[in-house]
Amino acid sequence: MKRYLLILFTILGTTLVAHAKLNVVATLPDFGSLAREIGGDKIDIVVLAKPTEDPHFVDARPSFVVSLRNADVLIDGGAELELGWLPPLLQNARNPKIEVGKPGRVQASQGIRLMNVPTNVTRAAGDVHALGNPHFTVDPIIAKAIAQHIAQSFATLDSANAAFYNDNYKKFEASINQKLQYWGAMMQPFQGQHVVAYHDSWPYFAHRFGINIDVFLEPKPGIPPSPSHLTEVIGQMKSLNIKAIIVEPYHDRRIAEKVARSTNAKVVEFSQFPGGIPGTDSYVSLIDKLVSRLAEALK
Amino acid sequence: MNKLILIAVISAAMASARAQNAASTPATSPEMNELREQVKALTETVKGLQQQLKDQQTTIDKLNQQNATTAESPEPSPIAAASPSPSVAASAPPATKFPTEDASVVSSTTSVPTSSPAAGVNPNGTAVGGNFPTTDTSVVSSAPTETISTTGAGASLTQPIGIGGGKNYMNISFDGLFALAYSSDKHLDQIEVGDHDPMQRGFNARNIELALDGAVDPYFEGFANIVFKLDNDNNTDVEVEEAFMQTTSLPFNLQLKGGQFFAAFGRINPQHPHVWEFVDDPIVHGRLLGPDGLRGVGAQISWIVPVPWYSQLILGVQNGRGSTGYSFRNPGDDGLFFDRRTTDRELRGLEDFVWIPRWENSVDITPTQVVLAGVSGAFGSNETGGTARTQIYGADVFYKWKSANAEGGFPFVKWQSEFMYRRFEAGRGINESFPVAETFHDWGLYSQVLWGFKKGWVAGIRGDYYDAQDSRFTDDIDRQSRSRISANLTWYPTEFSKIRLQYNHDFLDETFFLAGRDVDSVFLQFEFILGAHGAHKF
Repeated sequence: MKRYLLILFTILGTTLVAHAKLNVVATLPDFGSLAREIGGDKIDIVVLAKPTEDPHFVDARPSFVVSLRNADVLIDGGAELELGWLPPLLQNARNPKIEVGKPGRVQASQGIRLMNVPTNVTRAAGDVHALGNPHFTVDPIIAKAIAQHIAQSFATLDSANAAFYNDNYKKFEASINQKLQYWGAMMQPFQGQHVVAYHDSWPYFAHRFGINIDVFLEPKPGIPPSPSHLTEVIGQMKSLNIKAIIVEPYHDRRIAEKVARSTNAKVVEFSQFPGGIPGTDSYVSLIDKLVSRLAEALK
Repeated sequence: MNKLILIAVISAAMASARAQNAASTPATSPEMNELREQVKALTETVKGLQQQLKDQQTTIDKLNQQNATTAESPEPSPIAAASPSPSVAASAPPATKFPTEDASVVSSTTSVPTSSPAAGVNPNGTAVGGNFPTTDTSVVSSAPTETISTTGAGASLTQPIGIGGGKNYMNISFDGLFALAYSSDKHLDQIEVGDHDPMQRGFNARNIELALDGAVDPYFEGFANIVFKLDNDNNTDVEVEEAFMQTTSLPFNLQLKGGQFFAAFGRINPQHPHVWEFVDDPIVHGRLLGPDGLRGVGAQISWIVPVPWYSQLILGVQNGRGSTGYSFRNPGDDGLFFDRRTTDRELRGLEDFVWIPRWENSVDITPTQVVLAGVSGAFGSNETGGTARTQIYGADVFYKWKSANAEGGFPFVKWQSEFMYRRFEAGRGINESFPVAETFHDWGLYSQVLWGFKKGWVAGIRGDYYDAQDSRFTDDIDRQSRSRISANLTWYPTEFSKIRLQYNHDFLDETFFLAGRDVDSVFLQFEFILGAHGAHKF
């Protein structure tokens, strides 16, 4: 009798699991939007960080533990961007499904060659990430790779819908490939130009489109701009004829505006995350916006 | 060897792409010819390198043969099939086409199954590197050796993160917390209630801490905090403040913890002094749970209640013996506690342990506001009599608002309050040597508000109140009712250092034995953290 009950429950359990939507947690909104592209209405997704806040300093709020406890899939950066808040959440979530190495854990940096890997790790250089610059999703080619890993994970865990996820990946890949021609053409006239950014979040974007985002308002990553450093930046901007300063939603825009006033540059509001600036509800619309805003400023 | 090839292939590819880019813009014919020559030469080089690569690949494949069945999924997914076939520079897309692949940043995605726990460089990943032409040298030059980032190096339980690119088995950090103090009372040690608070006029170094944490194995994590404390005569005391192991993946949302650890009572007790928002311990905490807080050797089980919000039940049990079990089986200084000669007996049964239940709940009121509230208890025996018991109850609430556009976690407002009540049966001591038995009802609370008004800057204000039942039979200074107001300003140059200026005004009430008085104190606290310090809980 017991055995029959057990079998019954197993069947019930598996059917329930098979028909339930995948619970997906993404640490950051860029991973969340890629997961939506792949998962569509077959997944329920929770994104932990807000698109407007500094991804280095997100509070490890207890409600996140609940989301992680229920997660079938966790997508994180894997490159220490979330180092200050994800580990204590995972310690408390006690969910073996999302351990590293399980199909339920997608680490976006997998297979990505990180840029600016420090050869010598010292905090005297500011908030330097030992594994390399973790702000990589803004490169559309890298986004495709992340989306592919997400699709592989979803397809493994929800094999009934594997074809759906794979089709969505193909659609996403095709739209990125097509869009890249457009974006590339938009940025083509500005090859080699220098652009200022508040924080060093844009090496991958710059690399993709052949511009140099290599002057920063922060003297060192994470260190607030000092007057003497800003004077230096203004000098550099004049000598390199820099026309744009990139700020993100959580940066102090006033500092950028002050620098812009004394150099006739334009302040361009950028975001690494879909939703961080208005009209960017998907990954493609975000890159669209970034490219058009930057092209406008550099004209 | 593989890496060398990769670099060579990429640089060749880049050079050829440069040629293409140039070709896309109108150029004079000599330039074109020159570029064509370059492309030809590079194509030859690439072909040569490809042959080398193939040889290399054959060797690797041979080596990998035994792992092939596990490392690769049995059926190639449509995604894998959809992957682009490696194209050499010579057959690169037309120059006008914007590239849609870039092997210099993405290693072969298809050959890396997501379920693969492989932490090493995937040979297939490097093998196809360089099929896409690019003009950028920064990637190669900035990452000369360790080119491919792999899984498992990130923040994870099974593969600990640490300084040096995740190559360490644990986080190791060192924390130095110092204070320069002045007080109108020359016995600052009788004014401050916490053991890690400043205890003398002048410089204090009472919390220098070595913190270790990491994954023990796939089943446990381990933590240790070793505190070095310099007393007023500059002698070093060493405390094993915490050293415990904790499960990572028990079923049913359960977690077990064992070792020496801070009891999960209220909010301030489980926190290390370097996380505190003020230089010193709240009075009610130091008086009811003890100068060192309630910690000890024991075990704890916790359960996340399966409800839509965060709700956790915790039950801890500890020996509760000695000065870190202050209100419990504490023999006291020189064998006296509240003037009773203590029994200092061995454990008789389960009732002599300290049992510490807690229930905590948290909700997000809005996307920028969070509340966490809990109730706690601590129940056990004390040493002032054969059957003397202690019960402590606590309630705590923590509220935080943080801007939706927070940079570096600023700006924010935090409000934290705790109430504690203790019922302490003071017996007649060993062999009924004390004239009376009394039951003390002591309570107190503190409430503090912190305002992070600018990146790196926090202003705080705190009120303390402690009401000890007056006794005509003991002149213990711990039984003096008092209140305090504190204000401080903290600058965090980064999250690894801080400088804090604090002012305290203490009002000590008159008791049957002790005079009432006011005390003013000023502290300048400074702190540094070295190494990889584990992130803190909410």
